[in-house]
Amino acid sequence: MDRKKGDGGTSVNILETKRLFHDFKGLKVLFDVNLQVEEGERHAIIGPNGAGKTTLFNVITGTYTPSDGAIIFKNRDITGAGPYEILRHGIGRSFQITNTFRDMTTFQNIRLAVLSKKGIRFNIFHKIDKMREIKEETDRILKWIGLYEERDIHAGKLSYGKQRSLEIGLALSTDPELVMLDEPTAGMSKDETHDAVEKIKRLTEGKTVVVIEHDMDVVFSLADRITVLHHGTILATGSPREIRENQRVKDAYLGAMED
Amino acid sequence: MNRKVKWGLLGAGFVFLALYPHVFGIYFSNFFITFAIVALFAVSYNLLLGYTGLLSFGHAIFFGAGGYGTALALEHIKGLPLIPALLIGIFSAAFLALILCPIVARVKDAAFAMLHLAFNYIMYVMVLKLRNITGGEDGIAGYNIPSLSIPGIVCFDMTNPVSFFYFAVVILGLGIWLAWFLTKTPFGQIIVGIRDNDMRVDYMGFRVVPTKAVVYIFSAAFAGLAGSMSALFQNMIAAEGSVDIAHAFQPILATIVGGASSFFGPIAGAGIFAILEELTSRFTERVELVNGIVLIVVIMYFPSGFIGLVRFIRKKMLSKWIEKRAMEELP
Repeated sequence: MDRKKGDGGTSVNILETKRLFHDFKGLKVLFDVNLQVEEGERHAIIGPNGAGKTTLFNVITGTYTPSDGAIIFKNRDITGAGPYEILRHGIGRSFQITNTFRDMTTFQNIRLAVLSKKGIRFNIFHKIDKMREIKEETDRILKWIGLYEERDIHAGKLSYGKQRSLEIGLALSTDPELVMLDEPTAGMSKDETHDAVEKIKRLTEGKTVVVIEHDMDVVFSLADRITVLHHGTILATGSPREIRENQRVKDAYLGAMED
Repeated sequence: MNRKVKWGLLGAGFVFLALYPHVFGIYFSNFFITFAIVALFAVSYNLLLGYTGLLSFGHAIFFGAGGYGTALALEHIKGLPLIPALLIGIFSAAFLALILCPIVARVKDAAFAMLHLAFNYIMYVMVLKLRNITGGEDGIAGYNIPSLSIPGIVCFDMTNPVSFFYFAVVILGLGIWLAWFLTKTPFGQIIVGIRDNDMRVDYMGFRVVPTKAVVYIFSAAFAGLAGSMSALFQNMIAAEGSVDIAHAFQPILATIVGGASSFFGPIAGAGIFAILEELTSRFTERVELVNGIVLIVVIMYFPSGFIGLVRFIRKKMLSKWIEKRAMEELP
């Protein structure tokens, strides 16, 4: 997939953070982060543990309000919006630690996302089982994410790999323009990881993706561009090749890993 | 269960209830109404506990609001018809919930439970102390129970126990059906999502606090209906049996013993306690002692309640049946 990279002028930033700061009671976790995500790209965020990757996700998706700075999505300032507003703006996210509805079936899990997508929130006049469109759409998504066979199994009873699929599926079912995946392959074996990466590629076709990932093979096979986060600040942004050859990145992070 | 069986059962239930007062007499008709009031109260409670995952130790405030709302309206408004009196009870409870929901919809777990214990106690003391309004410990009694009349067509005398039985069964049945319907709607699914994982519900584009507030108000309205029916049925309302702490625990007992995981669990629980209390009160006044023991046994041995037990047995029987079939089919 060839595209213009990193020269700002010709491509459109769908998501941008401007001088983003965040601290927890004096502990600086994010420090002057200026992330730029172009429309349609797959953008990986890498960095050692504690670099602030998940915090960056949490600040962007509304878990926390940043201490300072702005978050711009599609030219709109979404700084300080709550998680539900962020989703309605068109940003979906998945979680590093599986965060599904464990006591509901896979079908019911996805159905909630479908309700959200259709904007059905306070409907108390129709039986949900009689809403054909909702059921068909849910089944379609279940087939699409490869969980149709498991539709009547409770999410908490799925195998780990399937739970991860459901986790990503929940983020994608609301049909967001920007998908933020927090370590989608966390805890997977080599084979599972390979399958998961192929799946993510297939499912996010045509969408903008921001992904946190530790596995460098995954990062280099998935990402169009990479941002390296280190001690809460951006060390470098660029194509996989640029990042691989960047001396500062090598010193801080990659070198240690490839030895 | 297929459609025919469902309609058949519904029809049988209808016939049973139609004949009930004539077969079992006034005493057991009143027994049934008492049970149905507790059942609706418990069902309203389970909208919070079983469906939304909110444990409340003070659901009696809404029962009391409904009961006192109807009783006070009937006492002070001359010629108030029956249905408006009922609606006043329901709206009193819903209004109380509307006042409380900005606070309580933002909390959960222990905070939700303890806040309600406090609210319940405040209401109990207020009912006792505001004597000139509530009649204090004596409560309000002897107000006129209006007839159910559609002018020019029919008029049912509600002081006639048989007429009242039919009225109560229809209204309480309607209340339970509405609550059941609510759980089957998209909204009913979203509250289950909140019970399961409220944080993810937020990330999926639903507003958690308003959703909880709405289910809270509905739950209160149904509890208010139960309280209002109680006031009409007893022709009196007092602090004891409406807003006291023991009464706040009645729906909790029924829900846990019946099974919170099913819509019909609380109804089963209400039935179990109705029968149990009827039987134990013939031998001893210490009804609560027996109720408490039953609760402990259920929590220790069948934590999913009566419905859970039924499901377990059904599953066992089903798997046995499948095994048998498999054996027979072997060549």
